[in-house]
Amino acid sequence: MSRSYDRALTVFSPDGHLFQVEYALEAVRKGTCAVGVRGKDVVVLGVEKKSVLQLQDPRTVRKVAMLDDHICLAFAGLTADGRVLIDKARIECQSHRLTVEDPVSVEYITRHIAGIQQRYTQSGGVRPFGISTLIVGFDPQDSKPRLYQTEPSGIYSAWKANAIGRSSKTVREFLEKNHKDDMGRDETIKLTIKSLLEVVQTGAKNIDISVMEGYNKVTNLDLSQIEALVAEIEREKEQDAERKRSRLAATAASEAAMSAGASAP
Amino acid sequence: MNSIASRFASTSASAAISRDEEENQVAASMWGSTGGFGNLGQVGIPSFEIPRVPDPTNFLRMHTDDRNDPSCRIKIQHGTTTLAFRFQGGIIVAVDSRATAGSYIASGTVKKVIEINKYLLGTMAGGAADCQYWETYLGIQCRLHELRNRERISVAAASKYLSNLVYGYKGMGLSMGTMIAGWDKTGPALFYVDSDGQRLKGDLFSVGSGSTFAYGVLDAGYRWDLSEEEAQELGRRAIYAAGHRDAFSGNTVNLYHVKEDGWKFIGNYDVTTLHYEGPGNVPGAVPGGYGYDVRTEGLHSRGAATVA
Amino acid sequence: MECSFGLVGKGYTLIASDTNSARSIVKMKNDEDKIKVLTPHLCMAYSGEAGDTVQFAEYVERNLRLHQIRHYTELRPPSSAAWIRRVLADSLRSRKPYQVNLLLGGYDTSDDTPHLYWIDYLGTMAKVPFAAHGYGAYFALSTLDRYHDPTADLEQGLETLKRCIEEVQKRLIVGLPKWNVKIIDQDGVRELEI
Repeated sequence: MSRSYDRALTVFSPDGHLFQVEYALEAVRKGTCAVGVRGKDVVVLGVEKKSVLQLQDPRTVRKVAMLDDHICLAFAGLTADGRVLIDKARIECQSHRLTVEDPVSVEYITRHIAGIQQRYTQSGGVRPFGISTLIVGFDPQDSKPRLYQTEPSGIYSAWKANAIGRSSKTVREFLEKNHKDDMGRDETIKLTIKSLLEVVQTGAKNIDISVMEGYNKVTNLDLSQIEALVAEIEREKEQDAERKRSRLAATAASEAAMSAGASAP
Repeated sequence: MNSIASRFASTSASAAISRDEEENQVAASMWGSTGGFGNLGQVGIPSFEIPRVPDPTNFLRMHTDDRNDPSCRIKIQHGTTTLAFRFQGGIIVAVDSRATAGSYIASGTVKKVIEINKYLLGTMAGGAADCQYWETYLGIQCRLHELRNRERISVAAASKYLSNLVYGYKGMGLSMGTMIAGWDKTGPALFYVDSDGQRLKGDLFSVGSGSTFAYGVLDAGYRWDLSEEEAQELGRRAIYAAGHRDAFSGNTVNLYHVKEDGWKFIGNYDVTTLHYEGPGNVPGAVPGGYGYDVRTEGLHSRGAATVA
Repeated sequence: MECSFGLVGKGYTLIASDTNSARSIVKMKNDEDKIKVLTPHLCMAYSGEAGDTVQFAEYVERNLRLHQIRHYTELRPPSSAAWIRRVLADSLRSRKPYQVNLLLGGYDTSDDTPHLYWIDYLGTMAKVPFAAHGYGAYFALSTLDRYHDPTADLEQGLETLKRCIEEVQKRLIVGLPKWNVKIIDQDGVRELEI
């Protein structure tokens, strides 16, 4: 009797909170940042990479995973939890093909993943997954890019652009200001990098970009490509600042001239 | 049956956990695309009562095998003719309506087309109860799929669901030979599914004891670009042919037509009437009975030698 | 009366299977593809008990795909064959064994060798230069003993395969008019007309 009682870690607090779930969200907030942006017919995932130790092989640290030919997932939070969830999702993708003869839709696999996460908030002897995920991809026989998010609580939702993990609020606010519908490939990639640069101070070497352009068409940008884009963004920022400065200087000058003119006679 | 998770992952530690957890938490729920069938091998699908005897399969065989024991208690309905074919204008589904139990005609007004939903039809050959029960069950699952995924199930998925289901009972005495016909995103689709677990996609199938006779008429008259009226007439004639030649098929013909906006019941035709008078005034019908004697009345094969 | 053949040549593996699907005396279908593409460089011709064949083939297909997604690389033919044999051997000792006979043709891109495996429902596996399942084996094995050449180019290999098919069509009482032929080489899997 007592066993079944204390096996459950996820019990309501008197004011209706599930503390374990909220702690899981805290783990997500401590995780590295991940961004997803939807363009017109492209969807881009950008993730912040932790700096690799000198003797470590960077290829063994992956934060973006393919679930199937047409679906990609990025997560923020506990990497080890992510691996388990990804494996479950991959199995479901193949299982779906086996039983229904069609690939999964992005919403379906999102719902499945969110469903798994939910179950771990309502079962005995387990703890919730300490990750949020961004799931991107294309539905079978459809060219519209999709972007979904799931949370440890099991909530899932669709987005035009979103960020999870460290400083996600800043990034999301940046995206809210700068996202446009019907962005082309390059514009979408650029916005992704720009938004990541809001929180990644170290620049290109800590950014990973995956671009999905349709069924089975996924490319990961090389470091050199990202570096070039970052440099371009920096340059634009510089020019912007320059313009602002000169504009400010000009207004200041004209104001000065005006006040000088007024006091001349 | 193997589920991906349980079988493949027997070599990896992570999935051993997942199997354990599956048993703990989702034993009763319909989870994932396998809809609860993932653990088919371990627990068996939706549990229902089976005879409390050491070997239910043998028990069933003992009491239903009328071929080896004509005095057996339960006689399963077997003889049938059903057909379905895809053509330019959709799918024609035609069946007879006779139910036999041994040499006894148990009914002459059986509905052998099972209306799964507005867009899906199933046909019935083999055990009537098996077909009726499992195809109705399929209808429930199709509706659930629709509610869960906000779109109609594809014919491929529906037929595969049925095929996986009966495959799980392979060797346990199920007897079904069915065709699943319907219209989905990909257009008209037709599948043959039987209790061996065989599932075939195709343009033209006929199932049942009278199927060979139906094929004889069907194959000869089938073209992809048949008009709708011609196609309906072909289906009618093929079932009539089987009803005429096969002792275990007959009574009446039920004719359905599957189109983009769902299936339509075309009509019910008495085989005897078809024989002597034909289908009457229906589109595509040629006046006169289908019967050989009726069709050839007054014709002769005498040579053209002159009569002095 | 199902029949399938396989043979290796210089840098390729050929697999052929009839396309009939029968139930009792009725031919339900004459264009069924009974060779499953498992990975970009691996094919499997299957025959045997109705229902079991497709269930087994799809099960293998999805698991090898899962492996590829999990490990970012396709499983090589020898490993695939060993795993498939193992599944069959386990199944043989279960309540309801899969009754499926297989020919597994692949091409190993890591050392550029074609592979052909003969596997039966008992879990017997043999790596062979040529193989046959079904009644075709009674006719074609002698033909292959006589004409098979491991160094043959594609044209010669197809010629040998054609000899086998023609022999079956000439002597077996059941006609097998249509055949499905697949080649596996360094470029992957393709279907061939014969």
